[in-house]
Amino acid sequence: MKPSGRAWQLTAIATAIVTALGGYAIFFVAPREETMGQIQRIFYFHAGTGICAYLGFFVSFLASIGYLASRQSEWDWMAVATAEVGLAFNTVVLVTGPIWAKPVWGIWWTWDARLTLDFILELLYIAYLLLRTMVAEPERRALVSGVFGIFAFLDVPLSYFSIRWWRTEHPQPVIGGGPGTGMAPMMWYVFLFTGIGLLALMAILSRERYRLEALRHEFAELAAGAEDEPEPVETKGLSR
Amino acid sequence: MNLARSAGLVFGKELRIELRTHDLTHTVLFFVLMVAGLFSFAFDPSSTESRVILPGLIWIAFFFAGTLMLQLCFVREQVNDTLAALRLAPIDPFAILLGKILANFGFLAVTEIVFVPVFSLFYNVSLGGVLGRLMLLLFLGTFGLAVPGTVFSAMTAQARMRELLLPLLLLPVLAPVLIAGVEATAALLGPGHALEREWVVMLAGFDLIFLTATWLLAGFLVEE
Amino acid sequence: MRNFWSILIAYLAAWAIFFGYYVSVGRRLTRLEADFRRLKQRAGRD
Repeated sequence: MKPSGRAWQLTAIATAIVTALGGYAIFFVAPREETMGQIQRIFYFHAGTGICAYLGFFVSFLASIGYLASRQSEWDWMAVATAEVGLAFNTVVLVTGPIWAKPVWGIWWTWDARLTLDFILELLYIAYLLLRTMVAEPERRALVSGVFGIFAFLDVPLSYFSIRWWRTEHPQPVIGGGPGTGMAPMMWYVFLFTGIGLLALMAILSRERYRLEALRHEFAELAAGAEDEPEPVETKGLSR
Repeated sequence: MNLARSAGLVFGKELRIELRTHDLTHTVLFFVLMVAGLFSFAFDPSSTESRVILPGLIWIAFFFAGTLMLQLCFVREQVNDTLAALRLAPIDPFAILLGKILANFGFLAVTEIVFVPVFSLFYNVSLGGVLGRLMLLLFLGTFGLAVPGTVFSAMTAQARMRELLLPLLLLPVLAPVLIAGVEATAALLGPGHALEREWVVMLAGFDLIFLTATWLLAGFLVEE
Repeated sequence: MRNFWSILIAYLAAWAIFFGYYVSVGRRLTRLEADFRRLKQRAGRD
């Protein structure tokens, strides 16, 4: 069992520093937005987290294809790691969304385009993880999750367009549309800075989760090997 | 053996079993009627608000009935492990899946043909001008349910808690079908009686994309 | 500062989730390492 290498430990420390600085920047450096007030600052990590989540799901999709194409377990480990971390990030988006919505619109939840899509994504990837827990045999599990991983991600653009067409017919308060347009330069810098911190965080968490999966595989192989050995002969105790 | 013939053979087998036992269509028909009744109790058909939610009721009733039917389908396979026999047959794996998809689609479609008039009766909705287009929407949507539904059935054949797992996997994936179907039906039944092209494109696109994905991944799904 | 509490809660909630996930992975790793040690002990005894 190799401990996390030096490079990763340094990255972890760097990420911690960047995110702490990012937090400071979000609260004190970024200029105040006129219409929404301080609450707009959520945007920096709400949107950045959202982008990271989509990225995680996309990588998981690619890894699912990779596994089916090559049948090498490493791809499957990557698929589950990025899916699970993506789900964690997506959960943050779903939690911070209502916290934004309440002060600005007076309601906790709304089925606007962004939140509805995120809700469906959350369900899709919870389903993905649930599927994995229900299939015991590792190769079958990897196969089955690979297929579902592909189907789930194919559903994303379809859901995106359905929801968008649905929502343009029934106008709703638009959450997250405002700050994206015409951001002051300083806002962009804070956004990029936070974004990089979040990406680094995503990479580290994915890596740890990947390591967990790889170790589980190693353990399963060792355990299987140990079971194959013949039972020790009991005469050892008797002769002492 | 070419694809059409193989798929046709599998479809024929499913059809013969169903004609012998009538399990699926009876169960689904009864279930949908019961749902229609329950919805009538919960959402009084005489009120104008209920008319507004009618498209939603239709689609949700069929989604649940369809999911129920898919589970019955695969349980039947489990009993004599006929799936293993199918796998050994020298036919294209996609043919097996396609045959099953068409069979599942067919059973549900039959149910819809019977059921839509019943629904219109309960809710006093005249379907005169729009029946054909409504059936088109329902068929496109039902095919959209049948494709991932059959695939996920095959996938969860050996999983734990598969009865619960299938709806959990299927329903999030079907979100676009539900949205498109309900919106299109609402536009059709509404004042303009319009068939909005974008929703038809979405439904057809969904069917095409997932059918293609099934074709590409069929080999992985049917193997041991 | 208008709506200060909302943004603070949001920020804390976000970090709680990230931290919670990190801890979850860490705990599963620890459990796995314990399993490894137990397995090695058993193998060593045989």
